[in-house]
Parts: sequence; C-alpha cells; structure tokens
Amino acid sequence: MKEILYYTWGAIVSFVVAFSVGITYMGLNRKITARVQNRYGPPWYQNFIDVIKLSSKKTSIHHGVMQHMGPAFIMVTSVVSLLVIPILNGNKFFPNLNFQGDLIFLLYIMVFGPLGMALGAGQTGNPNSAIGVTRGLSQMAGFEIPWVMALVALMIQYKTTSIVDLMNVQVESGRWLMFSSPFAFLAAVMAMLGMFRYAPFDIVGAPQELASGPMSENGGKYLFVMMSAGSVFAFAKLTLYVDIFMGGADNLIILVVKTFALYLIPMLYGITSPRYRTEQSVRWFWGWPSFFGLLAILQAALF
Amino acid sequence: MINDKNSQKIVDIIQNFARQHSIWVLAYGTGCGAIEIPPTMTSRYDAERLGVRGAATPRQADVLLITGYLTTKTLKRVIRVYEQMQDPKYVIGFGSCTINGGMYWDSYNTIKALDRYMPVDVYINGCMPRPESVLSGFAKLQELIQAGKADGAKKYKENLEWYRTNQKKVIPNWHMPEYNW
Amino acid sequence: MNMIYILFSLMFGGAILTFLAHKVSGLLRDILFVLTILASTVLFYTKIHTGDAVDFSISGLPLQWGINAYGRIFSLIVLGLGVMASFYSVSYMKGKERLGYFYFNFLISLISMMGILMSHDLVSFFIFWEMMTWSSYFIVIYNGKHVQRSGINYILFSALGAYAMLMAIVMVYAHTQSLMIQDMMQAFPFFPVAYKVWLPILFLTAFGVKAAMMPLHVWAPDAYSDSPMAYTSVFSGALSKMGIYGMIIVFVTMVNYLPDDTWFRETIAWLGAITAIMGTLWAIAQDDARKLLAWSSVAQLGYIITGVAVGTPLAMLSALFLSVMHALFKGTLFMAVGAIEKQTGTTKFNEVTGLIRKMPWTFISSLLAIIALAGIPPLGGFVGKWMLYESLINSNHYILVIAIFFASTSAFLYCYKFLFGFFLGQEEKEWEQVKEAPALMVLPMLIMATLLLVFGVFPGIVLNPIDLGMQTLGFSTTAGTFWSMSGLFNEWGNQVMLQPLVYAIGGTFLFFLILLTVKGFKETRYVTTKDISSSGEVPLEHENLTFSEGFYQPFLRAVWPVMKRRMMSYYQGFGQGMEAFFDYLRRVYSGNGQTYAIYVLVFVVILLLFKNSLFG
Repeated sequence: MKEILYYTWGAIVSFVVAFSVGITYMGLNRKITARVQNRYGPPWYQNFIDVIKLSSKKTSIHHGVMQHMGPAFIMVTSVVSLLVIPILNGNKFFPNLNFQGDLIFLLYIMVFGPLGMALGAGQTGNPNSAIGVTRGLSQMAGFEIPWVMALVALMIQYKTTSIVDLMNVQVESGRWLMFSSPFAFLAAVMAMLGMFRYAPFDIVGAPQELASGPMSENGGKYLFVMMSAGSVFAFAKLTLYVDIFMGGADNLIILVVKTFALYLIPMLYGITSPRYRTEQSVRWFWGWPSFFGLLAILQAALF
Repeated sequence: MINDKNSQKIVDIIQNFARQHSIWVLAYGTGCGAIEIPPTMTSRYDAERLGVRGAATPRQADVLLITGYLTTKTLKRVIRVYEQMQDPKYVIGFGSCTINGGMYWDSYNTIKALDRYMPVDVYINGCMPRPESVLSGFAKLQELIQAGKADGAKKYKENLEWYRTNQKKVIPNWHMPEYNW
Repeated sequence: MNMIYILFSLMFGGAILTFLAHKVSGLLRDILFVLTILASTVLFYTKIHTGDAVDFSISGLPLQWGINAYGRIFSLIVLGLGVMASFYSVSYMKGKERLGYFYFNFLISLISMMGILMSHDLVSFFIFWEMMTWSSYFIVIYNGKHVQRSGINYILFSALGAYAMLMAIVMVYAHTQSLMIQDMMQAFPFFPVAYKVWLPILFLTAFGVKAAMMPLHVWAPDAYSDSPMAYTSVFSGALSKMGIYGMIIVFVTMVNYLPDDTWFRETIAWLGAITAIMGTLWAIAQDDARKLLAWSSVAQLGYIITGVAVGTPLAMLSALFLSVMHALFKGTLFMAVGAIEKQTGTTKFNEVTGLIRKMPWTFISSLLAIIALAGIPPLGGFVGKWMLYESLINSNHYILVIAIFFASTSAFLYCYKFLFGFFLGQEEKEWEQVKEAPALMVLPMLIMATLLLVFGVFPGIVLNPIDLGMQTLGFSTTAGTFWSMSGLFNEWGNQVMLQPLVYAIGGTFLFFLILLTVKGFKETRYVTTKDISSSGEVPLEHENLTFSEGFYQPFLRAVWPVMKRRMMSYYQGFGQGMEAFFDYLRRVYSGNGQTYAIYVLVFVVILLLFKNSLFG
C-alpha cells in the first residue's frame, strides 16, 4: 500500500514537471517562430493561458463514447511513457516504473494513445478527421523504421534493451552515445522530425488543409486534455532522447537545457520548411534516415 | 472551500484573464473583408502578441469573425457555425456591411443588420477596416471579456425565439436541426 | 477400452449422427453438433492424460495414437476454438441450406486436427492430414462462390504439400523400415546428407502450404474469405496452426542436425518475414473485411514462422504464444465479421459504417481483438511480439527484426481500417435498423476477447503448458529464466513486469476518463454524426460523408513498387509456360508413319552410340 502511494506520488510529481516544461516549450516554439518571421510574437506563457482557457470552456459536445474516451487514451500514452522513461540519472527524486519496462514496451505504449485517439476521431464522422488519421498512421509507418533501426543499433551494441542500462553505460564511460553511435543519433533525430509533426511533416493536422485533422471535432475539455497530453508527451520524448543519446541529466536544470537544445532541431527545421505530401514524407523516412539507421546497425554489429 | 464565494471570485478572475488573453478566431471570410485578415495575423501587425490566433474549426474557436456582407445563403451557414461553437463564444462584426448593409444596403439578397440574426459583441467600423482597427476591435473585445460584459451568447440563449423568427424570415429553405442547449 | 478409442469413436459417431439428424430435425442436429464437441473436449481434458498412448495395427502396419505435452498446447487451440466456434455456428448458420453437410465437415476437420496432434506414426498422420484438407476443402466450396478460384487453388496447393509429405514418408520408411515418428527422429542424425537436406524441405513444403508461407500462400486469402465465417475462425485460427505444429517438429528434430543449419534457418525466417510484410501490405489494400482479415492471417502466420525458424528457446516460446493468441484474436475477428455479415448482409467497408451504437458488444470484442493483433500492451498480442523482438535481437537477426517491425507497424493501418470501416464514421440512415447479433454469437467473441486481456496481464497461464510442451521437444525449462506469471525476461536480463504497468495504464485511463466525464457533466451533450463542422453546411440525410474510398491511397502509392510483383502472376506465368511447352511437345505426334519410323531409327542410333556408357 505504502509502495503504491509512493509511486502514485512520483507519477504526480513527474506529471506536473513534464506538464509545465512541455507547455513552456510549446509557448517558446510559438515565440521563436514569431521571431524568425520577424514578429513580436505571443509571450512565452501563452500556452498556459490557452490551456486554462480551454479548461474553462463551459460547454462541450461529443459524438459518442469513443470520442469521449479518446483524450483519456492519449493521456495514458503520455503518462505511462513518462513513467517508463527515467527522468534523471540514477532515478533520483522521481520514483517511477522504469525498472518494469524496456524500450520495446515503450515503443508500443507510444502508439497506444494515438490509436485510441484515432478511434475517437473516427467516431466523429468528420471526413477530415479520418483523412488526418490515415495520414498520421502512414507517416508513423514511415518514421518508425529509422527510429527502430537506431534503437536496435544501440541495443545490440550495448547488449541491453533497458533505458536505465543505456544511461549507465554513458555515465560509466563518460561518453555520450550521440558521439559513440553518431549514425544512430542521426537516424533517431531524423525520425524525431516526424514524431513531433512539425513542418514539413505536419500533414496530419494541417489546419489549412484538413481543419486540424483528427482534432477537428474536439473542443473545450477534450482539447484541453489533448493539449496537456501533447505537451507531456513532447517532454517525455525529449527526455528519452536525452537519456539514450546525451548521457541523461543529473538535475532538472541540465535536463531542461539538454531537452531544449534537442527541441530546437525539429522546431527550427519546421519553421523554415514547407509541407510534404503523405507519400513524399513516407518515402523520405525510408530514404536517408533509414540509410543512416542501416549504417548504425552495421557500426554496432561490426565494431 | 470550493463553493466559497471568495474562491469563486478568484477562479472567475483567472478564467476571465485566460479568456481575455487567449482568443482563437474563426475567421468566416464571407466577403471582401477576408483580405484584411492575413496582414493582421502576419508579420506586419502580428495579432498573435495579443493572444489572437486562428482556429481551424468552430469546435475549437472562441470568436467568430464575420468579415463583410452576408448573403441570406451565407447567413444560414454562419448561424450553423455559430451554434456549433462552444460557450463562452463571441462574435465580431467586421466592416460596415455587418452594421447597416454598407454598399449593399439596397441589395435584394444580403442582410443589413447582423445583430438582428445573431448577437454581436463588437463591431469594427470601416469599408474596409484597416488591420489597426481590427486590432483595436480585438482590444475592445478583451476589455469587454475582462469586465465580464461580453455576454452575447447568453443573450442569444435567452432571446432564441426572437432570433429564430428573424432568421427564418430571411432564410427561405430552413433545413436545420433544432438547436438544443 | 482405452479412452483414446472412446474419444475418436465419440467424435466420429457424433459427426455421423449430426449428419443423419439433419434429416430428422434442425434442433436435434444443432444439439448433437454442440454436444459432440463439448463432450469430446470434456473427455479429452478429464480422462486423457499426457503420455497416454495406444498401439494397434491395421493389415500389419503398426500404428500408435497418443498425446504428449507438445500436442496438448495445440489441442488447447483446436478444442477451445472449436467449442467457441460451434456455439457461434449454431446461431450463424441458422436458416442456411445443407447444414448437415457443413456440420459434418466441421466435425471431421476438428477430428482430423485432433488426430494429427495424437498420431505417433506417419501413416495416421498423413491420413488425418488428408482428411483435414478434404473436409476444409468441402467447406471452402460450401458457399458456391468463386469455387473455381478459391477451391481449385486450395486443393491444388494442398495436394502439392501432400505429395511432398508422402514422398518424405516413403523416403523415411525406405531408410528406417519404421513409420513411427519417434524412430524417424532418433534415426535422423544418421541419415545420409542428401536425406538430411531433402526431408526437411519436403516436410516444410507440406507444412508451409497449410501455414500459408510466402511462395505457397496464394490459396489462403481466397479460401479464408470464401468459406463461411463460422468456419473461417477455425480455419485461420486452428487449422493453419497444424502447419506450425509440423514445422516446429521439423525444426527441432531435423534442422538441428543439418550439417550447416544457419542458411536453412535464415531462409525460412526471411520467408516468414516477407510473408508478414507482403501480407500486411495487401491487407491494407483490401476493401472487404474478409479479405483484409484473410491477408492479415497470412501476415500473422509470417511472424510465427519467423519465430519457429529462428528457433532459440525465446523465439520458440514467442511462436507458440503467438499461435495461441492468433487463434484467439483472429477467431474473434472472423466471428465479428460474420456477425456483421449476418446483421447487415455485406462485409464491404464502403457499404457499412457507423455500427458502434447498434452493435456495441461486437465492437468491444473486436476492439480488444484488434488491440491484441496490433500488439499494444495490456493485451496478449504484446507479450508474443515482445518475445519475438527480443529473441531476434538476442540472436543477432538485426535486419530481420526491422522487417518484422515494419510489418507490425504497418499493421496498425489495417487495424484502424477495420474498426473505422465498420463501427465508426457517419451513422447512416440505411443501417439504422441494424440490431446487435444474437447472444449465442456475441458471447463466444466476448469470452475470447476477455481471455486476451487475461493472458495479456498473466501470460504465465498460457506459457506454463507451452513450457511443458517445449520440454517434450528437448528444450530445458524456461520458467523463471524467460517468464514468470506476469513478467517477461530476455537473454540479457532485461525485463517487463506486466502487472505494475497494466495498473499504471488502467489507473491513468480511469482517472482521466472520470475527469473528462465529471468536468462540466451537465454542459456536455451528445450530438449526432451529422452535426460536424463542415464549413457550416448541414449534410442531408442521404449525403454520405464517410471517408472510405481509397483509404490508404497515399501509403499504397509509396509502397507500390513492392506490391507490383504478385506471386500469383508468377504461378500463372508458370502455368502458361507449361501449357505452351506441352503444346509444343504434342507436335511430336504428327500422325505420319514416316515420322514415327524416323523416331525409331534415331532411338536405335542413340542406343548404339551410347551403348557402352549406358549398359557398360
């Protein structure tokens, strides 16, 4: 009983941290985008305001039970992947479940929510939602390949599938995997561009084309939960990248610095890019990123 | 504690602040006025610094921006969009056409005064209103929200029958699901 | 009298009685049909114990029937799915014609599967194998649809497999003078090298046909989708597993003794992976649910074949576990399609939409089955997938694991298509009157879907009998090293503890579901699917806004270069080539006496010329 309370407390603390950092990143993204476009832009805390406003919407509608549950599904992905990913080196301060699951579990729990939300989007009956979902799933089939290649390369090189072990390897050798497995890092970062769904891979929720796609029928509290889940998940993903490629972090400040540096990559790449069509983006991921992934596997297998 | 009057007041202040500074606009580009929206949103006038941002669908939007004249055909769609939006919601009438019909004052198929058909919180005058005046319109709306006076949606709910009669008077083929609150 | 005799007499007697009862009364026939399967299941699990065997001989051939722990794993699939499908078919087949014929063949195919699992000698194995082929063939052509294409393809490939097996059996008998499988296994290490290579190839051809392995799979999509759905759940869930049953025996007892088994294993593993990829891609392209599930069956068996071929203890565990799971979820899904077919009369995605509120129980069971199929955590499919990936990574199959992963990621596409096509999307007026399927059809689906959830949290329940079976095959026990009641471990000592994770998933889900429900409960309202934000337009009742045509067109455009080459066209090309060749050969018979005289002369000359080398 005491243990369950302890873990629940850990989950709540990590959730609050991830939520605030994730929302701040989203706000900073808008600010930086504005500065690149020579605008003044909204304040960095703009997304906090947006989230509070969405939660204070009085009415909301749903088209049925699946749409009602959709945001809860996506929240499961965010929270459980946050729990499985170790936040700090040595599991300090955040008592999570990261000794219970490994990378392959993480890969699968990461698609749990999007699929659940896709079901919710499907129930709305809005053709835009369904089109967005098919695009998203196609794109996922694209970027998962380089991403898995990068992970497999790390797994076979260090003979572990656990994230904690990969972090320990870096702490012991004092060398980031980003430098010792550069190709894996390249492939993973390229996959990350698709994972964040910023331009040029924003076909899923393209507002001008699909009226924000899967989210087009969600407003008020549903959008509130979705937006929170999105920010928590963004932080979880960035933390995962920092954990397995950049040596993890000893305290929260280092973690924030590293994750933000990483977050700049999809952000800046996105600001300056137009948009790919679905088959173009799928093929892009099976092109150079997968090639780097293969190189990573070769490097891991041969050296 | 939650039902305490003072804490309710604090919650109200926070909520009004959030509503005031996060305005997601569904720009319903009905007429020529839609051309003024891009400069308002982009680098020159940058409405995003006020928290104004475009919304893709009525479900997500807070503000319905009606840019210009409304033919009776379009009015039906606009009413539909307005009714699909979630509370609290506001309407901005943009340009002279929404106030008195503007240059279409004697047209046989445009409506003259928008607020006979739906509650308008803020009018922006001009033909065309420049982006500056659009921004000042948003600022005015923010003021109203902060003071809790932007209650068009409430008015619509209360006087639904009056609005319905007016709407049905000008729209000949009314095939719409009845609005259930 | 031995219990094994009683079991077989019960089943055969039940089959014949069911067939005869059809003439008397429909109710009696249904009761006899269900009772036969129930009684034999109860008898099998209460009275027949692992290690029981009977010896007898027919016209001098010594035969042996018995059951070991390995066969018992598959008996779980056959009898468990059989019981569920029998209840289901009673309701599903109501009102159709020639039911005596259908039930008889249904029972015969169950008997023959049990017979395969219980034969200890090659002759009865072969006989039961043929019985299984024929009984399933009769059901494939039961509907009378596409008999030419699906029926002939199926029987042709099955015959190919059967001849291969017969040849292998004759080779074994010629060498060992015994027909016992046990003798063959013991003698195999001492066979000549040519035998060692050819025996597994011949056996794998036979088993590969049933398991729909890559070049031999072309019959599967048509046969699966053309037989009645009540039987397809058994066809795809249990009957195809007989191929896996045989393959595992071949790999464990024969391939291990090959002089160089790596190449052999790699080839079969890659064939499995290619089967998985191509099956998945073709499943994505289908617009008919039955075809989609049929291709998906092919793909899922591809994973299992890969696991079998890799052959490490973990891979074998995963293959066997996936077999059980595949029987459960594919059985459920085919039953769900059958339920929809019965209630609406069609199985096309672009005809039926929005059934979720009309058939909620069917939706819930197919949702659980789809989650399991996709391999998403709290359900059983994840355990199998996890073990497969870990075994591939642990045994240095780096590219293979990527291929398998690609197939399994792409599987999400057709998973979504299945759920969206039938249950979600616009609710059409055309399907307003549709009712939930009868309870007798829904209950089997729900039970199987619940089992998937239970096995996903406590895989130990299934892994325990699998472990016992693998010990029979000569593996050492894997309990504790690779799995515990609700934990999984790989060779490097990494683990997934399912219970805490499942509690975290469930807790988070419940918390946010309650939050979403309670928050603004009074202000949340349900709107119909016509009330969507479509630029203010009100869709009229006859306007269908569901997006179901060309569902994955962009994705298919991206992968089209791979899908252009179809195995079927190669077979057709081969057939045409052979036809042309024989047509050319036919011209030898010109009908002219002079030509025949020249043939005789040429033959004599050849004989004389090569006299020494031929007869010397």
